[in-house]
Amino acid sequence: MALTITCPICGKRNGYEFRFGGEEKGPRPAEHELNPETWCDYVHNNNCAAGVQNEWWFHRDGCGSWFTIFRNTLTNLEVDGPEETNE
Amino acid sequence: MENIKKLSPVVFKARPVKTEVRDNQTVVLEYVGEELGPYLTDLSHKIRWDVQDSNLDAIKPWGIAIPETPGLSVLENGFLINRMNRTQASVWHLAGEKPDDPDDSAYTETTDATMFVALTGRETFAIAEKLTSLDFAVPDKKAPFLLQGPIAHVPCQIVTLAQNGEHCGLLFTCSRGYAQSMIGAILEAGEEFGLRPAGETAFNKFLTQ
Repeated sequence: MALTITCPICGKRNGYEFRFGGEEKGPRPAEHELNPETWCDYVHNNNCAAGVQNEWWFHRDGCGSWFTIFRNTLTNLEVDGPEETNE
Repeated sequence: MENIKKLSPVVFKARPVKTEVRDNQTVVLEYVGEELGPYLTDLSHKIRWDVQDSNLDAIKPWGIAIPETPGLSVLENGFLINRMNRTQASVWHLAGEKPDDPDDSAYTETTDATMFVALTGRETFAIAEKLTSLDFAVPDKKAPFLLQGPIAHVPCQIVTLAQNGEHCGLLFTCSRGYAQSMIGAILEAGEEFGLRPAGETAFNKFLTQ
């Protein structure tokens, strides 16, 4: 068990308690100028960063919260986000 | 017209000595050979609700304030109220007369959807350690408090009721369908500590201590 994830409600837990929810891609595109290409890009295309990325997780076996964390995809470890690092 | 008979999802192999029919359900008050604990008690007949609302702080189940912080619980007038997250709390009625059904759409009764058991006795946490990596005896938390996580890989709500030397106890609920597998896993984990099924009377004694 390498990955631990910090749930905002339950604290640090075993990664197996969580479900991956994909990369954080920012707000959903506005409806009024939406075209199929933009929508397809938002839904299906990922950055797949080799390094630190911001991503969604769901605490499936715990409190049921959705939240984001930063994870280094090269080490598969949760890391501090840019805000925490700059402090 | 005949009443519908309710059955608990939990069945112990032990032989009951004292039983009572309550709300069309046979409740075991005592089993043969209970002796000393640790005890596993089926409380699935105790009424439970989920409360969900965007403004949870404005709701006071039976006049009791819901704790503000997720993970905190309050035991008052026989009701145990556990704050689960920003919008949800669970209410477990542990003692006293059956309360009236709440007249509010924020409440959903979950009694028949889940199983509910108590694990009590000095060896409670030693048994729990064999079933989960969760730490129920957190020294900086004051009982009662809620943890949400897996026991034997099954998502549960677990409340540490007491963590005081001889007087230790956990309550937990999970989906009804897991009941028999969970009971088997708990009894097997507790075998070396002498864990045995107990009736409701043993739990009531624990609660009043």
